[in-house]
Amino acid sequence: MPEIRVTPLGAGQDVGRSCILVSIAGKNVMLDCGMHMGFNDDRRFPDFSYITQNGRLTDFLDCVIISHFHLDHCGALPYFSEMVGYDGPIYMTHPTQAICPILLEDYRKIAVDKKGEANFFTSQMIKDCMKKVVAVHLHQTVQVHDELEIKAYYAGHVLGAAMFQIKVGSESVVYTGDYNMTPDRHLGAAWIDKCRPNLLITESTYATTIRDSKRCRERDFLKKVHETVERGGKVLIPVFALGRAQELCILLETFWERMNLKVPIYFSTGLTEKANHYYKLFIPWTNQKIRKTFVQRNMFEFKHIKAFDRAFADNPGPMVVFATPGMLHAGQSLQIFRKWAGNEKNMVIMPGYCVQGTVGHKILSGQRKLEMEGRQVLEVKMQVEYMSFSAHADAKGIMQLVGQAEPESVLLVHGEAKKMEFLKQKIEQELRVSCYMPANGETVTLPTSPSIPVGISLGLLKREMAQGLLPEAKKPRLLHGTLIMKDSNFRLVSSEQALKELGLAEHQLRFTCRVHLHDTRKEQETALRVYSHLKSVLKDHCVQHLPDGSVTVESVLLQAAAPSEDPGTKVLLVSWTYQDEELGSFLTSLLKKGLPQAPS
Amino acid sequence: MDPECAQLLPALCAVLVDPRQPVADDTCLEKLLDWFKTVTEGDIFFPVGSLNLTPCKKKVWELLGEERSSRGTPGAVPLVTPGLGRPHRVQCRAAAGAPLPGGAAVPCAESPGPEFWGPLLLTPPGRNLRSPGKLLPVSSGAVDTIFSLQGDSSLFVASAASQLLVHVLALSMQGGAEGQPCLPGGDWPACAQRIMDHVEESLCSAATPKVTQALNVLTTTFGRCQSPWTEALWVRLSPRVACLLERDPIPAAHSFVDLLLCVARSPVFSSSDGSLWETVVRALSCLGPTHMGPLALGILKLEHCPQALRTQAFQVLLQPLACVLKATVQAPGPPGLLDGTADDATTVDTLLASKSSCAGLLCRTLAHLEELQPLPQRPSPWPQASLLGATVTVLRLCDGSAAPASSVGGHLCGTLAGCVRVQRAALDFLGTLSQGTGPQELVTQALAVLLECLESPGSSPTVLKKAFQATLRWLLSSPKTPGCSDLGPLIPQFLRELFPVLQKRLCHPCWEVRDSALEFLTQLSRHWGGQADFRCALLASEVPELALQLLQDPESYVRASAVTAMGQLSSQGLHAPTSPEHAEARQSLFPELLHILSVDSEGFPRRAVMQVFTEWLRDGHADAARDMEQFVATVLQVASRDLDWEVRAQGLELALVFLGQTLGPPRTHCPYAVALPEVAPAQPLTEALRALCHVGLFDFAFCALFDCDRPVAQKSCDLLLFLRDKIASYSSLREARGGPNTASAEATLPRWRAGEQAQPPGDQEPEAVLAMLRSLDLEGLRSTLAESSDHVEKSPQSLLQDMLATGGFLQGDEADCY
Repeated sequence: MPEIRVTPLGAGQDVGRSCILVSIAGKNVMLDCGMHMGFNDDRRFPDFSYITQNGRLTDFLDCVIISHFHLDHCGALPYFSEMVGYDGPIYMTHPTQAICPILLEDYRKIAVDKKGEANFFTSQMIKDCMKKVVAVHLHQTVQVHDELEIKAYYAGHVLGAAMFQIKVGSESVVYTGDYNMTPDRHLGAAWIDKCRPNLLITESTYATTIRDSKRCRERDFLKKVHETVERGGKVLIPVFALGRAQELCILLETFWERMNLKVPIYFSTGLTEKANHYYKLFIPWTNQKIRKTFVQRNMFEFKHIKAFDRAFADNPGPMVVFATPGMLHAGQSLQIFRKWAGNEKNMVIMPGYCVQGTVGHKILSGQRKLEMEGRQVLEVKMQVEYMSFSAHADAKGIMQLVGQAEPESVLLVHGEAKKMEFLKQKIEQELRVSCYMPANGETVTLPTSPSIPVGISLGLLKREMAQGLLPEAKKPRLLHGTLIMKDSNFRLVSSEQALKELGLAEHQLRFTCRVHLHDTRKEQETALRVYSHLKSVLKDHCVQHLPDGSVTVESVLLQAAAPSEDPGTKVLLVSWTYQDEELGSFLTSLLKKGLPQAPS
Repeated sequence: MDPECAQLLPALCAVLVDPRQPVADDTCLEKLLDWFKTVTEGDIFFPVGSLNLTPCKKKVWELLGEERSSRGTPGAVPLVTPGLGRPHRVQCRAAAGAPLPGGAAVPCAESPGPEFWGPLLLTPPGRNLRSPGKLLPVSSGAVDTIFSLQGDSSLFVASAASQLLVHVLALSMQGGAEGQPCLPGGDWPACAQRIMDHVEESLCSAATPKVTQALNVLTTTFGRCQSPWTEALWVRLSPRVACLLERDPIPAAHSFVDLLLCVARSPVFSSSDGSLWETVVRALSCLGPTHMGPLALGILKLEHCPQALRTQAFQVLLQPLACVLKATVQAPGPPGLLDGTADDATTVDTLLASKSSCAGLLCRTLAHLEELQPLPQRPSPWPQASLLGATVTVLRLCDGSAAPASSVGGHLCGTLAGCVRVQRAALDFLGTLSQGTGPQELVTQALAVLLECLESPGSSPTVLKKAFQATLRWLLSSPKTPGCSDLGPLIPQFLRELFPVLQKRLCHPCWEVRDSALEFLTQLSRHWGGQADFRCALLASEVPELALQLLQDPESYVRASAVTAMGQLSSQGLHAPTSPEHAEARQSLFPELLHILSVDSEGFPRRAVMQVFTEWLRDGHADAARDMEQFVATVLQVASRDLDWEVRAQGLELALVFLGQTLGPPRTHCPYAVALPEVAPAQPLTEALRALCHVGLFDFAFCALFDCDRPVAQKSCDLLLFLRDKIASYSSLREARGGPNTASAEATLPRWRAGEQAQPPGDQEPEAVLAMLRSLDLEGLRSTLAESSDHVEKSPQSLLQDMLATGGFLQGDEADCY
């Protein structure tokens, strides 16, 4: 029995370290290879020992697929390919391929700089890893091996994010990665066709949430920034280099333009140029509005946002600064934070998640006295705001996607167990689809029924159509034909075509049956009585009495005979063709009941 | 434990056991448990008096119990706490269902998870467990729990359970009921007996997962334990293991192979153990091709093993390549790999079955041989020529140029044509084969196929990368003419053919290929830059010119590789031909690279430039040596402003090289090194210092000392310490603290700390610098910098504070991520 097996090594009832192993008909695919921001030790990477115990990695795994460039989906990739030793292909979209090394490089620099880690992947390893990448286009079917193919669909979420369909023979799995079912300032909504996979593996970050309109959050954000700069304060927005930063930049740029504001906006570390370069390069991946206005004005060429120099932090007066990294755990954003934290007129807006231990996490949890290096205590007087701009599908969006793809089963990953439980019930009850939520290290096995594709000849279809019945997608219909197998392919054709193709002559198959009738009359009279009886019963059929004494009903032939041993009994020989099998059976059973009494 | 933590812990426990309080995320809980573990591992425990022990312990136990019941599976919870009292003893009591001191109930007493038992059992015998045999949980049903956990739905739990079972077995064998070690042949202790019964039963099971579990337990046992009792264990269980070979299909073949190899490697078994080798011989003929290869490789890697078995294993390993050779060699060809033996039907079937099975078998075979080739215990004689022939044939089958000699060959041609996976594996192996000695014609053969691969328009970027790597290995290991600096007769011709291909690849549309080609060029010129043949062939080609053009490549990785390649070529005078028409190209590369350092938007090329400049300075490159001070001043000025900390750190490295050249090399700190007399510096110290001031080295170094990126500050600290060390030997410059220069220096420090340049570069006086050096506590700074910058955040105190403060944070729009 063929089966699909799924084992999350990360993201099973958990957020972070996404890494899901899927085995379809003996082909093994790794979906994402992320890291966990919350750990600094071995636990930050998925436990790959499960794969390595199966022999050489490159032999065991057919490919690795990366859904998007966020580190919780690709952060372990150089470690896996250059240090653990995977040497096979890695698939991702073109924008992910372009942006991924930048974020990996940033991650490496922070790990080496901040934590002083020596045994970490190097720049060269990131480059060597990226050389193993095969970039794919949306909706392009990529043949990994002769039996394994993959196809990418648009997922929204961040530039280049994709959902992947993995197909082996007739079995398929769709992995969503992270996705967003509503368009935002710069990206469109996720979309997938009705591919009816055996299994849909979906993220479930907001499994229980129906999120408020993003517009409200955007208005709130702009109001807070505006109020702060109006009263002369400085606003710090710690961000990661690519992704949300661009969305917020577009937001502020448009607002500044509309309100004709002159307060400077800065973006640190020269990343704007790089980011803009990629957004310009991959403009087809952005939303419709940006694509439409691209010719007149590129949304990523910001008029109001300038490059930041660290000396600017001491300039008097209001300003807005986007600085990296996003969790205030090192580098420029932390340096600026230290300078501005003591002034209550200033504000820091955290637009994303912060892991425990980082200054971002501390200030968000309300801590106002922070111990810094050398036992220094930093008093935080500036205002601290948290605004979630992360672009994930909410419960409604997840249900919508499941409805769109029509899978046989659903498997939830990338979420919290309690929330998954709620969504699981909802999916099972409302969509009547079985749903799974394995923890890390747990394997879900789904038996699949082998489905064998059969081609139908045009002639046969036309003949069916000629009968006036149009095919309907949801209504199965019975179709008669001859199934022929040639070169391991099945085709349903008309019997005439089958004979022709196979070079065979037609043989007629007749069924015969003897029916004993109690009748003392002569054979001819018995036959006549049978004729009269059938004529009266089968009004819609052509019943004939032939000169030789036999009776026919369509192709059914009836002949009466008298057995020598019992003159009081007549034997009726009934014979019919395969095509009239129903009629033949009916007549036999009818005659077995006997003939009606003749009027005396 | 810090008093601060001791103060915070009771409050945190109160929060954690309160169901109304929002719970911190799993990572925090895991880190908390980690901390408990480190705290309890040492002998120092909770300071009595600062912490009310019993209520705190009780709360943590309650918390763990809550966690357990909410998750259902006992093993799923990271129960890594080795207790909160006298750690291991408390756990033992907990496992036996005894109350904790103070009367606290232990909720997880009946069926502790594997992680619960692990730390206890891993404890070295005698430290906390005086008599482990007595404490082993046979009667409490805990072993049964471990048996059932072996089949847990979580593979992590299942694996931990198997490992734990091995520990229990080992412990029970080490210390019997009376604390005496068990002797082979004697009665097995009750606990060990139960485990072995279970393993035996599992081995006989019809369910493959059960067999796998049993085999894994045995593999771990033989891998970890090397006491004589393991031999007795094998004697008892080997018939059951051997019986698995009679089943069809053989269950858990992968684990079966692992076990056989593990037993064979164990020093406890003498090489004359016939039963083991019998089983291995049978396995070699019964197993399918997927498992046969790893077994054969494992056998060949063994130090002691019967020769006949080694021969059989090597034949198994060579079989697929022998089939390939036979299918393609036109008769009468060179001797095959396995002359006189018939083709193995299974191997041929696998090769013919499907594309994926054929590719899989060949890839595995090539990888196994690649692993075997450099080992001292590889079979001898090593069929270098045949292996090379077979690998070349595989590559030719992949590129479609092989001529089939049979129907199998024809089938292989169709199957392997364009198979990138096999091509990659074959190129890797071909590269490894370069390490073996061989006649000249073999080198010719290898280089010819590599050139074909590099030339082929259909080669994928990954294949080209591997082809470049293999070519480099063959070139660098090719036989040279003895006593002559030339490259031998073969190489010049090859280079003349190679460079046009390299030119083509430098213009490839994929950045990966351009980059691999540049990396190849760099490596080759690094090794052969001085060889006349190489220089001649390179300068006759357009390669240097193309590499120069790639400095403007749109892809930053390629720009960086081009910088490195040009830096290397320039060091050896190979960056442009010497002919008059190339006079322009022969001009200095320095302005070009400096421009990249100043304006390139990406860090990789800028870092590469700094590395090249440092090398140039170290090696006395003409561009650096012409006006060294000017060179250093210009580079440091640009590097100090760079946003990438690695460029700034590299700038300090360059400064250190300059310092060494100005003041003499750093003194060795090795106590065993022979103390050489101090080399007199090239110029008087005051002059040298003036030069350092002039190039802006101090501005850069002092600014870097307060850099927000730790490695830069560390490097600068090292540099200044080296400088101070050097200066200390000059008595004339030793000045007392408190002079006018010191005051000005101390006034300047805060400005540097703020990231400002104190004075225009070059305006400083050596005296002021010396005063500055004296006023800084560089040793103190160095020890501060040695700690990672997040040590405060990573501290347990920070964790406890964060967990306590989590409540307010989680109430909002809780689950957020990227």
